[in-house]
Amino acid sequence: MTSLLNKWFKGANSAHIAKDRLKFVLAYERSVRLPYIDEMKKEILAVVQKYTQTSKIDVRANSNHDIDTLEVEIVLEKQTHTP
Amino acid sequence: MVITITSGKGGVGKSTSTANLAIGLAQQGKRVVAIDFDIGLRNLDMILGLENRIVYDVVDVMEGNCKLPQALISDKKNKDLFFLPASQSKDKNILEKSKVQALIADLRAQFDFVLIDSPAGIESGFEHAMLFADRAIVVVTPEVSSVRDSDRVIGIMDAKNQKRKEGQEMEKHILINRIKPELVEKQEMLSNDDVLKILALPLIGLIPEDPKIISATNTGEPIIYTQSPSAQAFQRITKRILGEDVPFAEFKAKRGLMGALRGLFV
Repeated sequence: MTSLLNKWFKGANSAHIAKDRLKFVLAYERSVRLPYIDEMKKEILAVVQKYTQTSKIDVRANSNHDIDTLEVEIVLEKQTHTP
Repeated sequence: MVITITSGKGGVGKSTSTANLAIGLAQQGKRVVAIDFDIGLRNLDMILGLENRIVYDVVDVMEGNCKLPQALISDKKNKDLFFLPASQSKDKNILEKSKVQALIADLRAQFDFVLIDSPAGIESGFEHAMLFADRAIVVVTPEVSSVRDSDRVIGIMDAKNQKRKEGQEMEKHILINRIKPELVEKQEMLSNDDVLKILALPLIGLIPEDPKIISATNTGEPIIYTQSPSAQAFQRITKRILGEDVPFAEFKAKRGLMGALRGLFV
């Protein structure tokens, strides 16, 4: 049933998908272009690791007409609950 | 005023835009020169219909093989429009910054507008086309590949620009080309707003997809001489370049007549 619906709507609304994919890929690419990004990531990670076990942070850059932002996502390890 | 027309990827209509805007500006009484900076690949001559008049090219001028006036080709219809062709024999790496600078300074002194048709992407030719520009027009089509590459080029442009290095601002605008209103209405193509929100630069113009452009290129008679919707769009962009405040047309899919478009003023 779902596949039938997907077939039916194939191509419909693909502009939205294009927009979302572009936003996502450009957020990453814009951050990679920043000359200080690797250094900064290392330093942020050092601070984060003082408190957590994580070794993964994601940095994304976004810009609109008025403001440029950097989004830093800290991926935490799943806590294993001891009963 | 030096305006570089550039893009992220090829095939989005840079040379077509350069040719038509050059003619548009000349029709408004400005002295204009259009330079094909896509060294190794000639295009602009065919679009302008001037391919049979080429003797010397832009590299000949820079290397001192001829004087600038010998290389400038005058347009068939506009006495105020001149064209400087790309070199086919040399490769892109031949350009030297100091020679490019001297040529652009020379042209800047003689013309109201210098339009540089830049190579796509971020090769050395792009860099040279960007160096001495006062303004940049980035041609984008509403497709993921074009928008993505444009973003990259916009990011690099300022770094390569002399004016910017001297602490001044290089004006940058987006020109959205080959818009298919019927697809935008069906939400199967990125809308103008989508593109502008993603790229975060001001808009200078919207050009609808126009099948007549193919025959215009075939014959070497640029579209701007016709009454086609894309021709009217180029005329509006010309006026905006000259500082006029011209409203943006909204293109509606024409019902019943396949592919025919009509620009409606909002």
